[in-house]
Amino acid sequence: MDTSSLYLLKSKYVTKEIGDELVLVPLSGNVSQMNELFTMNETGRFIWENLSKKTTVEDLVEKMTESFDVSEEEAEKDILLFLEKLDKL
Amino acid sequence: MHLLIADFTLRITSELPIYMEEGYQPFLQEGEIENPDINIECLSGIPEDFQNVKTFLFEAEDRNQKFYSIFKHKDGLGFYIYDQQDINTIQQIALLDETLTNWKIFSRPLFNGTLFPLKYPMGPILMYYLTVNNEAVMMHASGIFNGKKGRLFTGFSGYGKSTMSRLWQSCGNLVINDDRLIIRKQDGGFFMHNTPMYYTDQPKKSPVSAVHLIRHASENSSKKVSGAQAVSKVLAFCIQNNFDKQFIQNHLSFMSELCSAADVYETGFLPDTDIVRYIQENDY
Repeated sequence: MDTSSLYLLKSKYVTKEIGDELVLVPLSGNVSQMNELFTMNETGRFIWENLSKKTTVEDLVEKMTESFDVSEEEAEKDILLFLEKLDKL
Repeated sequence: MHLLIADFTLRITSELPIYMEEGYQPFLQEGEIENPDINIECLSGIPEDFQNVKTFLFEAEDRNQKFYSIFKHKDGLGFYIYDQQDINTIQQIALLDETLTNWKIFSRPLFNGTLFPLKYPMGPILMYYLTVNNEAVMMHASGIFNGKKGRLFTGFSGYGKSTMSRLWQSCGNLVINDDRLIIRKQDGGFFMHNTPMYYTDQPKKSPVSAVHLIRHASENSSKKVSGAQAVSKVLAFCIQNNFDKQFIQNHLSFMSELCSAADVYETGFLPDTDIVRYIQENDY
């Protein structure tokens, strides 16, 4: 995954807020991906909302450790897993 | 001629007589209509100049079959529809204008001089594009009406949609359809409609009161889901051409409203009629 263009991941999805959750649907050129939509948990939503044009993984780790009771290592692991999931769909 | 499908009116004009499968016959309407929801102009022959590739948008194919490709066309969307017996042959080319209301369908005449413009999968494609801007979705589901309440049963292929239909029908309920339905918001409520199939069936309509996400299981069970979980799980079984952000937004908004108006359940079932009683006792 190219972590220098994290913000571009957002453009691959259409979202809708339902209650306090987000539903994500991938923009797709292939019918086989149409069942691959998902909802975000609190951590995922935090990462999503903090993805802006110049965001780096380090920025996200810093913000996450400030907002959640989580170590830098755990935060980085969660962030990379989440971004990889976004990137693969 | 015109068709009335899911309370949408489709006006069809053609330069040659039209052949239509028997499943469409009950949906044909007599007389003229003034303001159809869509116009379909049927033309003879596959024009060579459309074969030049435009910007590719979407491919409808799965592991076993290739159905159609969509390209950006200068006036809207261009569809190449493949012959399901020979996927290297284009059986129709269709153009849909930017308003999503005017179709031109090009196809080769049959041996008897008629055109077969809605030959599968063109018919379902037309029906799907009725839904994208009209507070509606097209869904793989069984729809059942018991005279008061309408229930949708959806799930992956092989998870029991046809079985569920058969069980409810054996208990005297009306099957709206056991495969494909259009769900619409009409007059402030949500209604399911059947669509023309390869076999003959009369147009049917029912309110939607509940949606069950079904699977075969070792015992009957039902668990309510709501909010984003319900929306994402039900939307996953709707037909979607997700190359356009506005189409997706429309379907997400529709599904959000539907899942607020109707209860959504994850339901496991054994294949006998006890599930009919179980659901009627437990989903309200």
